[in-house]
Amino acid sequence: MGKSGKQNKSAKTVIPFGPQHPVLPEPLHLKLVMEDEIIVEAIPAIGYVHRGLEKLTEIKEFTQNVFIVERICGICSVMHAQAYCQGIETLMNIQVPDRAKYLRVIWAELHRIHSHLLWLGLLADAFGFESLFMQVWRNREKVMDIMEETAGGRVIISVNTIGGTRRDMSPEALRKVAVIADEIKEDMKELEKVFMADYTVKHRLVGVGVLEPDLAYEFGAVGPMARASGIKQDLRTTGYAAYGELDFEPVVETGCDSYARTMVRLREVYQSVDLIKQAIGKIPDGEINVPVKGMPKGEVISRVEQPRGEVLYYLKANGTKNLERLRIRTPTFANIPTLLKMLPGSELADVPVLILTIDPCISCTER
Amino acid sequence: MIENAFDISKELLHIEVEDSKINGYRFVTATCVDLGDGTLDVIYHFDKDLELKNLRVNIKKEDELPSISNIYFSAILVENEMKELFGLKIKNIAIDYGGHMLLSDEELDSPMAKQQIVIEQRKGDK
Repeated sequence: MGKSGKQNKSAKTVIPFGPQHPVLPEPLHLKLVMEDEIIVEAIPAIGYVHRGLEKLTEIKEFTQNVFIVERICGICSVMHAQAYCQGIETLMNIQVPDRAKYLRVIWAELHRIHSHLLWLGLLADAFGFESLFMQVWRNREKVMDIMEETAGGRVIISVNTIGGTRRDMSPEALRKVAVIADEIKEDMKELEKVFMADYTVKHRLVGVGVLEPDLAYEFGAVGPMARASGIKQDLRTTGYAAYGELDFEPVVETGCDSYARTMVRLREVYQSVDLIKQAIGKIPDGEINVPVKGMPKGEVISRVEQPRGEVLYYLKANGTKNLERLRIRTPTFANIPTLLKMLPGSELADVPVLILTIDPCISCTER
Repeated sequence: MIENAFDISKELLHIEVEDSKINGYRFVTATCVDLGDGTLDVIYHFDKDLELKNLRVNIKKEDELPSISNIYFSAILVENEMKELFGLKIKNIAIDYGGHMLLSDEELDSPMAKQQIVIEQRKGDK
């Protein structure tokens, strides 16, 4: 007790985290209000690299927008194009050929694998496990190589088009994709032991950033963030593209912490391998796209499951070649409020892992 | 028209949003559309068991809309975004960036709002 009779309290300190930080590949700023080493409040700041792509889609023709939405984010580019194309196809009542639906699934799941491997590597790097980071990214290279071989690009592969896909895969290419998918699975089975059981890894992840199921739902968590808190929410179960023909269940963990989120993404790599192999086994012969005639008119909402979770596209068309409005809500935009819930009560040393644990994509957020 | 969409007045917004929360809906996002006639459509998207429900409020540009961030905290970012990009007047956002979440002082006002483009009628030479 001081002379005044008031109890001494630790002074609050404000620590800026980012926008430039070794753990952040893209700029995000957090104002952290601290009491000693404990965070009591976190306020985010974004807007460092906002590009106004939604506005650009009103100026470009609706057919050109496929290439714009792919550039919202490289890692999710296939799913962005898929969500946009699905929306236009609904507006114009276009029946996409079955083969194109399966091709969309195969390329989308390849993208999910490379996104999750990218994240697992970044996580290892964030807690200082350099060799694990390099091993994971070495496996990721296999996905990049097979995407280049089948689509001509390593990240932005531009395979989706309104009415189907722009490229096909030969039987040899499909066989090779299946072989590579198996190789990735085997490689990750080896690395899985480190993620699941290594003392230092568990020490940095278990019990860190706990997000209870009711809070995850209330704060609008999506994707692996929601599923690691026990919420069985995966838009692929709605059956878009060819997912309705494939057998799978959402990957759910109940740990609610950073370790559970790691496990969800790790298990989803295996799930994607399985989905790719199922799709290769069932893909029918036939056309890969249909011609597009006329102009879109009306309003529609299209949603797909990206590696980071649900993306929502709202499209409004007026019967001309330009859209009246294209609105995109990306998964990171939905997951930032959950980060604000997780940070208070955590230690400063856990901030890099906690930020990474939502798998932030600032390109998507700053579309 | 989008499926499962309901037109409501801004006076009923809080009641409907509270009702959505009580009935277990997740707030997905909101969409602002400038209709070009001095009014804005604000569409609130909610999800329950992967089914969407959409509440549409049509307001004049000069009208104020109450924030729903006191009901769904996750609305803070999209409300600030709509406020800055469309000039939508939203009051009492739980975290209000005062127009500087995305925009800087040098930016144009409300870059997503439709601009009135007046094309001068030129008389051709005869």
